[in-house]
Amino acid sequence: MLAMRAVLEFENATKEYSSLFGRRHLRALDSFSLSVSAGEIFGFLGPNGAGKTTAIHLAMGFMRPTHGSGQLLGKPFGVPSAHRRVGFLPENVALYPRGAEELVRFYGALNGLSGQALRQRAGKVLNIVGLQDRSKGNVSKFSRGMLQGIGLAQALVNDPELLILDEPTSALDPASRVAVRELLLKMRAAGKTIFLSSHLLSEIELVCDRVAILHRGKLVRVGKTADLLETTERTEIVARGIALNAFSQTTAQDGVVRFVVSSGDQRAALERVWSLGGEVVSVTPERRSLEEIFLELTGNVKAAASGGQK
Amino acid sequence: MLIAINFVREQRWPILVLLLWVLLLAILGLTTSEARNGEDLLFVFKQVALYVVAFSVFFGSSAIYNDRRSRRILSVLSKDVKRSEYLSGLVLGITITSVIYSFALGLTGSWTLGEAGFRVGHIWFLMLCLVAACALAGTVALMFSTFLNPFIAAGATAAAMGIPAALSYGLGVSQLAYLIPVYPLAATVLKSSFNVPEKAFWFPILLAIAETLAFLLLSARIFSYVDIAVSVE
Repeated sequence: MLAMRAVLEFENATKEYSSLFGRRHLRALDSFSLSVSAGEIFGFLGPNGAGKTTAIHLAMGFMRPTHGSGQLLGKPFGVPSAHRRVGFLPENVALYPRGAEELVRFYGALNGLSGQALRQRAGKVLNIVGLQDRSKGNVSKFSRGMLQGIGLAQALVNDPELLILDEPTSALDPASRVAVRELLLKMRAAGKTIFLSSHLLSEIELVCDRVAILHRGKLVRVGKTADLLETTERTEIVARGIALNAFSQTTAQDGVVRFVVSSGDQRAALERVWSLGGEVVSVTPERRSLEEIFLELTGNVKAAASGGQK
Repeated sequence: MLIAINFVREQRWPILVLLLWVLLLAILGLTTSEARNGEDLLFVFKQVALYVVAFSVFFGSSAIYNDRRSRRILSVLSKDVKRSEYLSGLVLGITITSVIYSFALGLTGSWTLGEAGFRVGHIWFLMLCLVAACALAGTVALMFSTFLNPFIAAGATAAAMGIPAALSYGLGVSQLAYLIPVYPLAATVLKSSFNVPEKAFWFPILLAIAETLAFLLLSARIFSYVDIAVSVE
């Protein structure tokens, strides 16, 4: 099997911010290595201050790594010609105050588009983000969600191979979020790669093929979303034809009994169901939510629990 | 060019304020007797002309800062735009701004001062001096603003332009003023008069153009090492 081509790679990238006279150093990113393959939707997670935006800004060449390096579409970070094949949506998007279509065309022109192709592409992306009716409206009068839509449109105008999105749905209403999610899935189907930084873990869980979790500048977990969510430690068994008290902590509904056992006890539990004359309906490794994994890895379990109790 | 036009559009209100001064000169031209008040008109003309140099320093020192503070620079530099192209766009924008102003002032000056007996051809030469001075002053300010706060950058620019001129006076070495020839160019405008036959001295203009390019290259070099965005997390 051929290895997937990496479109975005960080190689031991470290970024330190120094105070004015270099007395204090803040290490925002610490020996960070990551490879994003072509055609995947990659989720990039981390609490505030984890270094996500720093990593993205390194990839876009806005800043230089203190140590290490990286590549964007096969070119070292900071080579602008690679940006022609990249769409970037910054966090808290800020745009020049002018008509939506005119603005999208301005950004398209910066990427070398011109003439009829640019006009068509601008119209198409405004249609994609649902703002075709507001194409003449000045973006300074747009709501935050609409601005986010224009930000997405300017990122898509050059039909990018790689889309880097920093909190793309943070200001969107639920319907717009669904639309963006569908757009991302369509883009993946078209062979595009999406690098998605978001706080909305449920969304990451829904669309991302792989996920990386960053904490205090270090990569603490990376892997396929399905693998991360699936734990082999506990298994849910659903059985029919056994008594509710046959196992501890069971729940029953419509004659079907559910209970969870540790993986080590799975075999014994199944044999017990059969020995009791019951029928096993399903055996499923228990899934955890990305939120649980995220909180566990970033050390916020207690905080989350105490927050929940309040 | 796109960045230059964008810059001019962004600065449309300061440009309009500048053009109000030109309007003032036009009103003075309408309401005074040129033959009697030619000297007064020339005084106002010189004063109004020099405002644009100060504005160019202001534009140059604040352009990058404004784009960074608003985070709009991220959307621009995330495209196929080199940092040197971005800076070139800003310098071109500052120059276009000064051309717009100088053209309006040149037209008004040709009409008002021309009627009072001032040689019209020389007014346009003075406008060229003004544009060259603005381009250089704006580029020096832009160069300082790549690594300094805009207020300090504006101060540093004033010092860079003023110290050679002060030294040339203090030491009596006139060539020193041409180190950064904004002052000699401004002085050409300031010293113009009805009485003295004026000669077009092109050297400072050519030097200013060459230095504008040199400072632009220096700015691009410095800016290529600067981290654009600070962490927002």
